[in-house]
Amino acid sequence: MPLPARRPSLPRPFPVLLLALLAAGCGSPEPHPVHVAGGDAQRGRELIERYGCVACHSIPGLASYGANVGPPLVSLSQRGYLAGVLPNTPEDMVRWLRDPPGVDPRTAMPNLGVSQDEALDIAAYLYSQHR
Amino acid sequence: MTLRLRTLVLGFVAMLLAGVVGGAVLVYMGFYDISAMRQHTKPVFHLLDFAMARAIDVRADAVPPGDLGEERRVRAGLAQFQRHCLQCHGAPGVAPEALAFGLTPAPANLLHAGRTWPPSEIQWVVANGVKMTGMPGWGWRLSEEEIWDLVAFVQAMPRLSPRAYAELAGSLPGTAQAAAPVPAPPQPAPDGPATRPGRVDAGRFATQQYLCATCHVIPGVVGANQHVGPPLGGIAGRAYIGGVLPNSPENMVRFLRDPQAVDPLSAMPALGLTEQDARDIAAFLFTLDKVEGK
Repeated sequence: MPLPARRPSLPRPFPVLLLALLAAGCGSPEPHPVHVAGGDAQRGRELIERYGCVACHSIPGLASYGANVGPPLVSLSQRGYLAGVLPNTPEDMVRWLRDPPGVDPRTAMPNLGVSQDEALDIAAYLYSQHR
Repeated sequence: MTLRLRTLVLGFVAMLLAGVVGGAVLVYMGFYDISAMRQHTKPVFHLLDFAMARAIDVRADAVPPGDLGEERRVRAGLAQFQRHCLQCHGAPGVAPEALAFGLTPAPANLLHAGRTWPPSEIQWVVANGVKMTGMPGWGWRLSEEEIWDLVAFVQAMPRLSPRAYAELAGSLPGTAQAAAPVPAPPQPAPDGPATRPGRVDAGRFATQQYLCATCHVIPGVVGANQHVGPPLGGIAGRAYIGGVLPNSPENMVRFLRDPQAVDPLSAMPALGLTEQDARDIAAFLFTLDKVEGK
């Protein structure tokens, strides 16, 4: 009995390769998780709203994205430096959030009186946004 | 073989042949621009970038000989780094030297690799180098231990502020006698007064010559996908430059030419921009009015 004519299918590696190339085209580095010990991202989100951070910064996941006084806080987990002056580690992020002029006297970012625990929560939220 | 399959195979072979002949003609005509002053086209850049990442990924399998966080190792790595790597890759607050500015692909700022690459991959690249990038393989000149020291330092570098880096570099034995622990920024080209207002196209071109793309995401610049400093989408409308200086074209030129004069703590290095280049780059930056990343 003759076999029914079949459409020749592409060899297996082909679609994989194609997908890989497409992924390469998108080109953005994969997110790199940064863990903030003792920080709660959900609480951080609320604190960001309470302190009015979005008045100056565009922050992913929060309303009124587009504020442009300071830099956008996108892809913070990939950022090399905080405020252009500190290495980007959770400890330095907390230090910065608590007292920016104490770190860099010339900065335009004010000291908002953020507590240690609040800073941990805010840092946790900022690092949780991968874009 | 059915007729349909045969047609398909023949068609495929014909297309392949046409591709090979077409490719050969393009190569012979010198079609692809190999000037290092211009970035690859976007598809070629991403293809090469991806090919490199895959090639490293499948080959890197060395296991670190111990704790790479050890201070002794980091300091030994820094000494090697200053001797062999700093010239092209720069360091926190330190610009690469002039030769690196003309390289395409631009030598990477190593913070991203230090933060996210597995040690085996950093080790592989240091030991083997990467063809056609300017990255030499050090496997013949440095011992295995010395290469792991370098890996240790590259992994430690993202935790150093510019000041901490300078202090660590200054504390190395022998640096008191050395010319300077931190090399002076590249000397600007002979700087006549700027002769014309900034030009957007000249500014975009200049971002390639000053390695801006190795640290910033810049809309419209191929390969500018690094988050070492802040992304520059929306910089036109941003209130402050570098978080310290009210944004205006004059202040932008000032910051670009000498960031440390504006903020001594800034990790942005002085890159030796001429007045004209700074004006051109500022003109280009002021076209970037969209805050991206939402």
